Amino acid sequence: MVFRTFPLFVRNRGPDELWRKRRILKLSAHFHGRSRNCYSIAVRAVHRALVYATKARALKKEDMRALWDARLTAACEEHKFSYSLMRESLSRCNILLNRKVLTDLAIWEPRSFKSLVKLAWSRASQDGLNGVKELGEEPSGVITRGMIK
Amino acid sequence: MSIYKRAQQWTTFTRVWHLFDAKWQNPFESAKIIQKYLAGLHKPIYGPSDTGDHVVVINSKEIALPGDEWQKRVYFHHTGFAGGASWTFAWELHEKDPTLVLKKAIYNSMKGNLYRHTKMERLHIYPDANVPQEILENVTNQIRRPRLIPKRLDEYSEEEVEKFPKLIDYPEDYVIQKIK
Repeated sequence: MVFRTFPLFVRNRGPDELWRKRRILKLSAHFHGRSRNCYSIAVRAVHRALVYATKARALKKEDMRALWDARLTAACEEHKFSYSLMRESLSRCNILLNRKVLTDLAIWEPRSFKSLVKLAWSRASQDGLNGVKELGEEPSGVITRGMIK
Repeated sequence: MSIYKRAQQWTTFTRVWHLFDAKWQNPFESAKIIQKYLAGLHKPIYGPSDTGDHVVVINSKEIALPGDEWQKRVYFHHTGFAGGASWTFAWELHEKDPTLVLKKAIYNSMKGNLYRHTKMERLHIYPDANVPQEILENVTNQIRRPRLIPKRLDEYSEEEVEKFPKLIDYPEDYVIQKIK
């Protein structure tokens, strides 16, 4: 086959090729083997990596929530209380602390967490929630002045 | 970090050795509790990095299976060779190795992931109270037993028997008939 016209020989796609490829190769700098240096292989790996990163944003939230739940269950068991009762009682007392903050308190401010557990226990026994009686006597020293309703 | 804070961090992250007395306990109930300590799920600082602790179990030959499980529970084993399948009753296995029933209960209560073997390596089971001194030196905590152990009548001291409140007493000439 003979190319009749000279312009058809030209395979230059434009002056921006370097910058287009550099944008991809910058993201693949930490990949393995040819995926970090060769554009045609790197572009596939980079696209997969970006897709995984997008999907993982929701998964990270799920993972963190599961971790906080495990940590808070452990922290409640340390005070011989139940995590599910704690969550219900705190929401009834209108204490809207989320799992993240409760976990931070349990790790860094253990005495504050203990007082929250005591408050939750008092509210749970006051409301007669399922399973409070099996846990034993509620801790003393909770001064509510009739405010936990 | 100040000296106090360094010591506090070291004590927080150190691997703790717990003791568990398995006398007259249900191995399957105990397994749920023990595997939590092996995984580190009893700590508010639990994380995907290894936070598990050691557990030393004593008196494993005196575990109590519920109901007729001693006669009915079977453990399957296959050697890998043809005709190598065998079913062993719980009482037979206990006679051969008194630590295995509890060990299998704990192993099977865990999830089948790659952490399992590491956690099982941190479990030390002894059939009676003879534990090597190097291991007993490390133990600093005792795990509360799920089942209460009743006290036998002959385990009460004479003082306690005398001090116990009495409502009535048999007359002197009363004959207590023995039931055959």
